[in-house]
Amino acid sequence: MIVHRISIIFLLFFVFGHNVALAHGGVVEEDDLCVIKVNYLRAHFKVYQPATRGLEQFCEDLPTATQSIFVMEYQHDSLSQMEVDFRIIRDVTGKGRFARLEDVEQIADIEGATVFYQAPVVEPDVYLVSHEFVEEGDFVGIVSARQMQSGKLYTAVFPFEVGFTGLGYWPFFIALLVILQIQYLYMSGRLRKWFGRNTGAASLLLVALFFAMSDAKASGLRVSFTAPEGQPRINQMHSWILHIVDESGRAVEGAIVEVDGGMPKHDHGLPTKPRVTEELGGGDYKLEGLRFHMSGYWEILVRVTTDAGTTVVTMPLQL
Amino acid sequence: MIRHSALLFALLCVTLIVAYWQLWPKPIPDWTAEDLAVLRSLSLESLGDLRPDPSNAVADNPLAAEFGSQLFFDTRLSANGGISCATCHQPIRRFTDGLQKGQAIGTTDRNTPSIVGAAYSPWQFWDGRRDSLWSQALAPLEDEREHAFDRGQVTALVASDPQYREFYETLFGRLPEPEPADIRSTNVVFANIGKAIAAFERTIMPSESRFDRYVSSLVDGDVERQKELFSNDEIRGLRLFIGEANCTQCHNGPLFTNHEFHNTGVVSFPGDVPDKGRVAGVREVMLNEFNCKGAYSDDDERSCDELEYARTDATLIGAFKTPSLRNLENTAPFMHKGQFATLAEVLQHYNVAADAMIGHNEAQPLGFSQRKLNQLEAFLVTLAAPIEMTMSQAEQGD
Repeated sequence: MIVHRISIIFLLFFVFGHNVALAHGGVVEEDDLCVIKVNYLRAHFKVYQPATRGLEQFCEDLPTATQSIFVMEYQHDSLSQMEVDFRIIRDVTGKGRFARLEDVEQIADIEGATVFYQAPVVEPDVYLVSHEFVEEGDFVGIVSARQMQSGKLYTAVFPFEVGFTGLGYWPFFIALLVILQIQYLYMSGRLRKWFGRNTGAASLLLVALFFAMSDAKASGLRVSFTAPEGQPRINQMHSWILHIVDESGRAVEGAIVEVDGGMPKHDHGLPTKPRVTEELGGGDYKLEGLRFHMSGYWEILVRVTTDAGTTVVTMPLQL
Repeated sequence: MIRHSALLFALLCVTLIVAYWQLWPKPIPDWTAEDLAVLRSLSLESLGDLRPDPSNAVADNPLAAEFGSQLFFDTRLSANGGISCATCHQPIRRFTDGLQKGQAIGTTDRNTPSIVGAAYSPWQFWDGRRDSLWSQALAPLEDEREHAFDRGQVTALVASDPQYREFYETLFGRLPEPEPADIRSTNVVFANIGKAIAAFERTIMPSESRFDRYVSSLVDGDVERQKELFSNDEIRGLRLFIGEANCTQCHNGPLFTNHEFHNTGVVSFPGDVPDKGRVAGVREVMLNEFNCKGAYSDDDERSCDELEYARTDATLIGAFKTPSLRNLENTAPFMHKGQFATLAEVLQHYNVAADAMIGHNEAQPLGFSQRKLNQLEAFLVTLAAPIEMTMSQAEQGD
């Protein structure tokens, strides 16, 4: 078993106001202050004390010793397939906010210091842990993720305080941590490498974009639909016939057709996962499993892949 | 002194003007043709006939409904002989129980949902972890916290009760011998019991409310009757409901639900971790042996559009099925764990619409004044109406 060197940083995203042009509230840009980084795996990390603070979010330090819910929302898919365990110990390292994995590893009796332990479990969607703190004080959280095949273990450590009343010095510590991390990356040459790699990636992206644009230009497809059930109604399953023609009006045959869509104003997709189930010939494709659950403006995105490339056609639909 | 009085007078004038502006009832604009179309779509008259359930061959068989109603109220279907479906689904409370979480042999994870009109929904349970009424009916029977019974015991009960045996054999053919019990035939009997209960549940429907009568008076242009039926506050509440408050984004159609799953950022139940809702439910229904595609479904074509095209992604984290709003007064407490005791609390929740603990809150803060919230509440109460049972066994449940 190899314990990888941790690279843990808490990034602070300052919130620039809520007036993002999204109906239905914010998505990623909400007051989600923390990102926990377990090696290269990232997750949003937040804590709630619903009994005393309702829906208020905390990044690490918690105001009162009460039921606390730790939420990790994965930003990296592989975390959802890994066994993740979660331990909270009383801070016996004596290092407080500077406690690191090395310090934790040196604790002889980790079980003795443990106040909460969630055994390894694979959580495919979101990782949730609830612990009722009985006393205030300094604690250290330890999150480990194990890759199922290789057995590799990744660990992140985060010190925090329960019974925390103000901002105190912690913005300073965050800044210090970030500076230290950047300095470390710079000294180890990783930062320079990262820039190097990403310049390459950026130019690749530009080239790809150029090709994509020329593709779209080359294939000005038109997509229309007929709904055999008549005018589409909400809350019903629909089966449509899509008719796809190219610029000159010729039927497009043998294409791979994928369909998605949603309500741009409401920031959500279709309630179902519709599929093209059959090519009927003459540019007609049978689309099944389509449903709309609200009245209003919808957009249906039809992605057509032929030998000539891929084109996405948007069909507006007012219900 | 004169100056002083002039100032006072001016102040009084301003106060009166503001008070007039705030409190004097403003004229209510007429409903437009577009409004009327929306109102008609919400009216019970738009509730079409219940579609057949191809996965249940006896779904609309009256004898099966009669058998189902007896099973529904039968406490012998439980480990302690004291729990029936009606323990939690009490007819008098619109088939709910008035508790935050269901309470049978143990305590369940969620609030008991109503059965009224449930047959119209493609998904059952708050998280849609079953795709038919009949497969839903089976789950609580075997849940340790509910009936704590098992399918073998269900089969044995049907075999030992002469009346049940007769019902069963008339509907489904010969009851298999209890010995030697094989899993497949036990499952067939178990599924059939669910199908009979479903046939009963398909008869439980909402009836006309004051709101529905108001809509028909609008359609008829009967102004006198409109005044009789709806107060100004109720009209204003209804206007907010279909307009500014955006309620009909989810609470649409004659049952005031789109039967879909949404995250509205309700705070977790004290002591519980936040409930993952639909994202876990959809995973479960795909694997359930009694689903539409399973061996016990009567749908020979296994068309199963709902399962086939169900969405499974992370947008469903913390999402729960939109509940019907018909007859809210008998279904408190509200939300999937009964987090809110009153309608006022529910409306306050949407008024603020804070970020969700898990996933993403789809609701936008209303930011309404208390007055508008009261109007919304006044309207919601007009959806109260008795239950309509299309068969006679209901009174057994008192």
